[in-house]
Amino acid sequence: MFTSAFLREFLIGVGTATGIAAVLAIVMAIADATIGNYGKVKVSINHGARELTVDGGRPLLSTLMGEGIFIPSACGGKGSCGLCKLRVTDGAGEYSTVEQPWITETERGQQMRLSCQVKVKRDMRILVPEELFSIREYKTEVVSIRDLTYDIKEVTLALKDPPEMEFRPGRYVQFVVPAYELTPEPVYRAFSVSSPPSSRNTIELEIRLVPNGICTTYVFSHLKIGDAVTINGPYGDFSLRDSDRDIVFVAGGSGMAPIKSMLLDMAEKRIARKTTYFFGARAVRDLFLVEEMRTLEKRLPNFTFVPALSSPLPEDKWDGETGLITEVLARHYERMDNHEAYLCGSPGMIDAAIKVFKAKGLPDELTFFDKFS
Amino acid sequence: MKQTVQMQKAQERMAPGVITRDGLLGSDRRPLGDILLADDAAVKALDLDHQAVAARMIELRDAGMAGLGEFIDVAPHYEVRVDTVRGKLPCPFADPGMFPKTNVTVRNRRTGREITFTDLNIHLVQAHGFYEGKGCAFRLEPKDLAEVLEIA
Repeated sequence: MFTSAFLREFLIGVGTATGIAAVLAIVMAIADATIGNYGKVKVSINHGARELTVDGGRPLLSTLMGEGIFIPSACGGKGSCGLCKLRVTDGAGEYSTVEQPWITETERGQQMRLSCQVKVKRDMRILVPEELFSIREYKTEVVSIRDLTYDIKEVTLALKDPPEMEFRPGRYVQFVVPAYELTPEPVYRAFSVSSPPSSRNTIELEIRLVPNGICTTYVFSHLKIGDAVTINGPYGDFSLRDSDRDIVFVAGGSGMAPIKSMLLDMAEKRIARKTTYFFGARAVRDLFLVEEMRTLEKRLPNFTFVPALSSPLPEDKWDGETGLITEVLARHYERMDNHEAYLCGSPGMIDAAIKVFKAKGLPDELTFFDKFS
Repeated sequence: MKQTVQMQKAQERMAPGVITRDGLLGSDRRPLGDILLADDAAVKALDLDHQAVAARMIELRDAGMAGLGEFIDVAPHYEVRVDTVRGKLPCPFADPGMFPKTNVTVRNRRTGREITFTDLNIHLVQAHGFYEGKGCAFRLEPKDLAEVLEIA
């Protein structure tokens, strides 16, 4: 008797628990299909200048990308680069913990948001800078891969669809890395264009291997001639200002790229401003494109290329400038009153160079840079 | 080690796609408390503590900064490069601030070995004794760190 009563109680208990679990599973499935399904949502851009009707539920950044509107982003939408800021004047909800460190008090007042972190869940009003509407996605094909140094490659992409890109020298594009062993889904990484705007149907990039980097590892280990590559761009505001001041370019490593694009453009446009390009490297094996720069010196009569090595090896037989690039700059100039400076490279190099410029009388507003940070 | 609520939240933030695309745990399926406990034991077995490990990482990073993005010789027999890529990362333990994506590459010319760590790695070792999960690209084995950086 005790055994059968216990068994009956036990079975009722098990049945009840199973029933509750089944009901909960059904409720969760319905919730997932309804609450999580935001249906069609309207996104109004620039006070109604453009209206989108999109599927809700995805981040604003990828939603806009799906509609052909490309917002700058260097981290692929993980909230770690802070580049994809947009003003969302209605419909964004609260700031997420990922967004908060990136948004200043002033930006909060302007309703600035990280578009990768804002989900499109209901009708939304946003403000998109006009220049971003000219950014396009391009289908390309790899036509050349050249080793510039042991850790920098030059990749040339032929534009297929659309076949041409208009850009100003100094701009960058986003390179889409497809899923491979280091990433289960496509990721985007930003690289400056090193070719001049005149080569409208090819884009040249200089890519330096980053330890454990998803994109650069892909380029160094997998990318080959003939591969299809998707890029989008052009992005950025690093460009040569129109003035008659003497120009000082400073770069290191793959920071060569935008400076090379500017120099080639200057040569084609016969811009004869006095220009000096300081390029820092450790030893001869880290130098590249020296012959191209010497050729440019002949095409641009007022241009001087100054490569400098911080630790030349005995076998380098180096008789050029030595020392850190900041030391070379400090030696080269007494005063920099009639100059403007353009820098591209690591934050440490740029910060150190700016200190030298300030000491030589060059004001901040005449120093322009593309910092890798 | 008991898995506290804070630790569970930190472990959730270490999952792929939260802070970094691949996460900070690699193929490691252990609870975060167990990972911390195992690495703490590994560091103690080397007669070190996390502060000493982090202090050496900071020392070499700061010396490498002088290279302005290129490798620079650091006494007695190191080459160090401090390179930065675009972006910043938050701490998975929700500590305040953001950490630049700085890669510090240390080559030990005496042993021929090389190791790369980030600003976030330094913080995680110093503040939490966390060396990332097994199989993670930025996992730092305490023994490797001690050997390459010659931490006494």
